[in-house]
Amino acid sequence: MRPSVRPDAAVKLAGKAAYGMDLDAPGMLWGALVTAPVARGRLRSLDLEPAHDLPGVVAIGPDDLPSLLPPSRGEPDRAIFPTEEIAYCRQPLAAVAAPTWAGARRAAAAVRVVVDAEPALVDLESLFPEWPGPDARRSPNVLAYVHAKHGDVEGAFRTADRVVEETYRTAGVHQVALEPHACLASVEDGVWRVRTSTQSPFGVREDVASLLGIPESSLVVEGTWVGGGFGGKGASLVEPYALLLARASGRPVRLALSYREEFELGRTTLPAVIRFSTAVKEGRLAARRVRLLLDGGSSLPGRDFATGYAINFLLGPYRTPAFEVEGYGIRTNKPPFGPHRAPFAPQCAFALESHLDEVARAIEVDPWAFRAAHVWRDGDETPLGQRVGPFGLRAALDAAGELARRWRAEIGPGEGVGIALGFWSTNTGAGGEVRLELAPTELRVVQGEREIGSGSVLAGLAAVAARATGLPPERISIDYGDTSRAPFDSGVYGSRTVGALGRAIVEATASVRRTLAERLRATEPVHLGVDGGEIVAITGTVRRPIRELLRPEERESGLVATGQHYARTGSIDESRVVEGAFYPFTDFTGSAHVAQVAVDRDTGSVTVTRYAAFQDVGVVIDRETARAQVEGAIAMGLGTALTEEAIWSEEGRLENPGLLDYRIPTLGEVPVPEVTLIEGYPGAGPFGAKGLGEPPIIPVPATIAVAVREATGAHVTELPLSAERIVRALKLL
Amino acid sequence: MSRPIELRLNGRPATIPDVPDDERLLDTLRWRLDLKGTKEGCRTGGCGACTVLVDGRSILACLALTREVEGTAVTTIEGSASDPDLARVRAAFEKVGALQCGYCTPGFVMTLGGLLKEIGRSAPIDQFLRGLDGNLCRCTGYASIVRAVAEMREPGP
Repeated sequence: MRPSVRPDAAVKLAGKAAYGMDLDAPGMLWGALVTAPVARGRLRSLDLEPAHDLPGVVAIGPDDLPSLLPPSRGEPDRAIFPTEEIAYCRQPLAAVAAPTWAGARRAAAAVRVVVDAEPALVDLESLFPEWPGPDARRSPNVLAYVHAKHGDVEGAFRTADRVVEETYRTAGVHQVALEPHACLASVEDGVWRVRTSTQSPFGVREDVASLLGIPESSLVVEGTWVGGGFGGKGASLVEPYALLLARASGRPVRLALSYREEFELGRTTLPAVIRFSTAVKEGRLAARRVRLLLDGGSSLPGRDFATGYAINFLLGPYRTPAFEVEGYGIRTNKPPFGPHRAPFAPQCAFALESHLDEVARAIEVDPWAFRAAHVWRDGDETPLGQRVGPFGLRAALDAAGELARRWRAEIGPGEGVGIALGFWSTNTGAGGEVRLELAPTELRVVQGEREIGSGSVLAGLAAVAARATGLPPERISIDYGDTSRAPFDSGVYGSRTVGALGRAIVEATASVRRTLAERLRATEPVHLGVDGGEIVAITGTVRRPIRELLRPEERESGLVATGQHYARTGSIDESRVVEGAFYPFTDFTGSAHVAQVAVDRDTGSVTVTRYAAFQDVGVVIDRETARAQVEGAIAMGLGTALTEEAIWSEEGRLENPGLLDYRIPTLGEVPVPEVTLIEGYPGAGPFGAKGLGEPPIIPVPATIAVAVREATGAHVTELPLSAERIVRALKLL
Repeated sequence: MSRPIELRLNGRPATIPDVPDDERLLDTLRWRLDLKGTKEGCRTGGCGACTVLVDGRSILACLALTREVEGTAVTTIEGSASDPDLARVRAAFEKVGALQCGYCTPGFVMTLGGLLKEIGRSAPIDQFLRGLDGNLCRCTGYASIVRAVAEMREPGP
């Protein structure tokens, strides 16, 4: 048995893990950003002279880009520094570097920025007060539009026994990784190099190379230990500015966001408005209309993706004979929309599950039974016509129902128990590759990702490699290389790491076995084992040390094999798509949660007294790591549910850019949850594993909302369920 | 203004030359002394990642000026192996695997080490858990940290 359930425990507990924030270099300068003081306006002038006049300061603005970058660039300058229109408050306008941190901050403050402020578009409902009409999608403020339809929606609404209509609103939430974005850049001999705290070294390379107009081959990105990602460190943010400052100064430059900037210019889930109209006939869902307005901020990366993907979670894992969905991504003067652990799915599940409770109540059916009657089973199809693969949600719902009945029998007045569901999928991203190096005494798994904390790289991939090869974990090392040395991978996001890189490891292992079989002239399958401290190949009764099977040129590298995983599976019925892009799922991962809450009716404060999660995992790869993902996601979801809310002023300034005003859960506010991992419904990952980073956060806000309603009768239709909103809802009763 | 500061650092006497009067202990540790195990999070006292011990009591290094700790004994995570209380906390965290990204971890270790010195291992577990309300962790959901605190209170070396 290995000494800790966390392979990285010792280095982190000793304080020896170097994160992006911890990097420095001889002769290093400290970078800082000069940012927009208003959310919208025209940049009249940007005067860097006062900064240049300070000792040792390098300052760069839009006018400096031509001298710093190759001439072949097209339009991207404006994406680095805007020259006319300011798109959001704290948008970077220029960057400075100085020999000290304080010097850099002084220099940034010295830059004279003159803007003609214009009224900002902040509230996404103000643009279309009634809801976007038929021509709205041609508006320049509509960043994305998706529309899908199936079945006889109009007929079902006409003949319905009951129609339930509701509107929900959800807040913007931040990732709140404890480590701010931070990197160290240098440019030497035509090689641009950046060490950075990132979820995706190759993603950063692609982003930055395209932004700066330099070839990917001249940019090397090296990941560091990552102090939390949660989606916020997937794309580049500080890296291009640090590289430009390094280019301009000829010195290494460290650029780290302050925690305030982390809030102000980080990219995350933004507010939304969701409208449901649901037709019920004979106790069943007959047809559903769902409409979504999603705040895209100043741009919505992937355009339709966020809105199109969200639609799936607004329809949910429920059989639907007829539906029509429409989603708009709206431009506002906020930072661009960005991913936050299961982007926007917890908000969708909150709205949908709360609405289904309302529908069940309206027709006097038990909400659990109503869900059970509609939830997908294997072989059902999704609203967009994709066949549902092995799916453990029904099993999770049954187990959750049983536990909820037990808890309900034990609660007192002012307490309530709620159940809610969610689903997700193991994303493949843009694919990934690994290189196995089988040496005489160890197997090295060489790949391009750093451990971001989830355990998916150091614990997950090691467990997959152990299972695939049959070697004990202590014989396996997970090696990391920068983008010039490691095989490509698209990043640690989308619950994809163990799924995609794990599949690549399985494929590479098969290749190792084939090579060994050739060298042994084996007629029976080849296995690996350990004999007297050495790795051996075993076939039939033959056992040969790997040492003896390596060719001379393999003495350093070991026996090398590569594996890759780029596959996407599943397809949707395109005839149901009216406009925009919708995407199939790779597999189907179900979660059913149960919460017990106590609500103080006078103050509206909610105490979560017990919490349980039933998580469909396909197959368990590493039990402790899997449990830890579920536990952590629940706490993060409780923040989304109860306290976390980004608040912008009418002028578009973030009003709570700090941990004292933007409250994430503390230890005393989170119960230790009961976690049950459900196996037997295989997914797209190695051995049938399903991705687990995101699924367990999805049902949390919904579960709390349903439990609060059961405890008090208060039907809160906005996230978060702040004390104020609960008291207001109680007054309506 | 700046001047040299004398203190005990991780068990050894140390003189730090030229410390500006307005320099935070966090910056002195990380950038003057290269003790980067003390993490910089919010710099406003909101996250607990920069917790260190001063004369055995936990403080936030982002809110302390270095000159305020002149003459004291400062302990950081780098000195934790030779402090029996901190070593006990670390052993419990390691055994249970009470960390994920690890950025908050040194702060949790220092806070719990300070509590061990203040209230003793046999104090009720709730006193330890309440003492952790100023340390934020975004990864673990605190569940494994609660298990580590229970482990830490077990009798043993």
